[in-house]
Amino acid sequence: MSEAVLSLEDVEAGYGRAAPVLRGLSVTVGAGQVVCLVGPNGAGKSTALKVASGLLAPRSGRVVLAGRDVAGLSPQRLLGLGLAHVPQGHSVFREMTVAENVRLGGYTVRDPARLAERVEAVKELFPVVAERWGSMAGLLSGGQQKQVEFARALMLEPKVVLLDEPSMGLDPRATRVVFDQIDLMRRTGVAVLLVEQNARRALETADVGCVLDLGRVHISGPARDLAADPRLGRLYLGGAAT
Amino acid sequence: MSLLLQGLALGVLTGGLYALLASGLSLYFGVMRVVMVAHPAFLFLAAYLAYTMHTAFAADPFLTLPVTVPVFFALGVAVQRLLLARLAPDNLAMMSVLLTFGIALTIEGLLGTVYTGSYKSISMDYATRSLTVGGVHLPYDKIIAFLVAAITLAALFAVLIRSRFGQALRATIQHREAARLVGIHTERVAGYGFGVGLATAAVGGTVLALITPFLPASHWAWIGKLMAIIVVGGLGSVAGAALAAVVLGVVEGLVLVTIDATWATMMFYVFLFLTLLVRPQGFFGGRLAHRF
Ligand SMILES: Nc1ncnc2c1ncn2[C@@H]1O[C@H](COP(=O)(O)OP(=O)(O)O)[C@@H](O)[C@H]1O
Ligand SMILES: [Mg+2]
Repeated sequence: MSEAVLSLEDVEAGYGRAAPVLRGLSVTVGAGQVVCLVGPNGAGKSTALKVASGLLAPRSGRVVLAGRDVAGLSPQRLLGLGLAHVPQGHSVFREMTVAENVRLGGYTVRDPARLAERVEAVKELFPVVAERWGSMAGLLSGGQQKQVEFARALMLEPKVVLLDEPSMGLDPRATRVVFDQIDLMRRTGVAVLLVEQNARRALETADVGCVLDLGRVHISGPARDLAADPRLGRLYLGGAAT
Repeated sequence: MSLLLQGLALGVLTGGLYALLASGLSLYFGVMRVVMVAHPAFLFLAAYLAYTMHTAFAADPFLTLPVTVPVFFALGVAVQRLLLARLAPDNLAMMSVLLTFGIALTIEGLLGTVYTGSYKSISMDYATRSLTVGGVHLPYDKIIAFLVAAITLAALFAVLIRSRFGQALRATIQHREAARLVGIHTERVAGYGFGVGLATAAVGGTVLALITPFLPASHWAWIGKLMAIIVVGGLGSVAGAALAAVVLGVVEGLVLVTIDATWATMMFYVFLFLTLLVRPQGFFGGRLAHRF
């Protein structure tokens, strides 16, 4: 396996003073690898991504990004270290244009020439974004908005991208585009940590699958094997994991 | 007919001022989802300071602005950082109302102590004159109020749309988590957003002092009106609030000349209820309300 770009090691995390949501979660993503986290609603998938991107500080455990423990650092810092996070649901800035949204992806870039260069690169990568450049982002279809979110996330050429249910609410065609782009990210050497409800579809694209339940990874392995694992179905139906 | 034109013209002029007075409330709601009950109290604090400038130093009330605008900005940042940002997120809406209610009472008390509870007003020599266009009388003080409001709002919009800070502020209002994920320090930006909101109160209050008499308790009459404006406009949308302010100003002006002052004020609440019944997300943008 390629060298680890991002790993969560024995992470415990939760909200406020409530009981922990993640209880000893460990997961590793290598360069050019797509790792998929699947699991029932409320299992802690989104929470795991929030810990990885600095939106939520873990109570204990390590978050290692490119060899460095970054647990508890702010999202701003992690962004600078090569991490991008596309959160669950719609996250475009609705009352801004597509152009403004994409440029905000380069908010921390102070060099205008560099910014312009990145804008051109993502426009090429996401044709819909270029087509709808002047439109208000909130008026785009769900699939188009996802494209804008991807474009915004790739503005800084991240080493690792966290995608939280990117196909949620999309029609089959828009879903196919999303998975094609995940595949493209992998081929350009980006590490992808993908969370999906649509486990079967996600495991077709991913290299490694991890089944998360009650804040911990219960089963993990090559995505192809996992897709065929009868325990996956049982877990989704509420059965015991082991 | 000329009566209606008169009402319309006055309505546009007052509506422009309302737009400025409400813009701060929109900003606060946008950045923190809180209702800042003390905004009108700060308006009248600025009004009293302009009054002091005029009476004690015999100077133009607008000369207070170079002092009050930066001071109010700093106060706004302080209120957000030191008080509101420390409230627990779970009951922020409730606690922020109590807290800012307390601030409003404190300001009212201070004003009462310093200036007594009787009406004060600033009468400039231009206040009694008016411009007559096609049978419509436009008092100079209202025209000046409108122009100052328009210039201030134009400056505010230029900052919101063109500047890097404005981009960060709008991003923070529209999707806080996504804003953090592109590297915006949303806490800091929210503080400055409050500062800008309160800075508009410095200008708005000074203008208000020119066109209406006031006493320490005057702010109570305003919180309802301004709340109605930002709900009709769409909570958190500065542009929506500005549009709603002009529309409500015109409605108020027309009802004022055709019926009476009580009904004119009532229009704000009629529109508020209609909005809540028909279109709780507001009529002019702003999609924050239905997140509740
Ligand atoms: N902001 C929050 N505050 C409090 N509890 C939360 C918050 N977000 C999620 N939770 C709780 O954490 C648990 C895991 O949520 P989440 O990570 O979103 O699950 P998933 O993404 O796997 O569906 C759930 O029980 C949820 O109620
Ligand atoms: Mg989730």
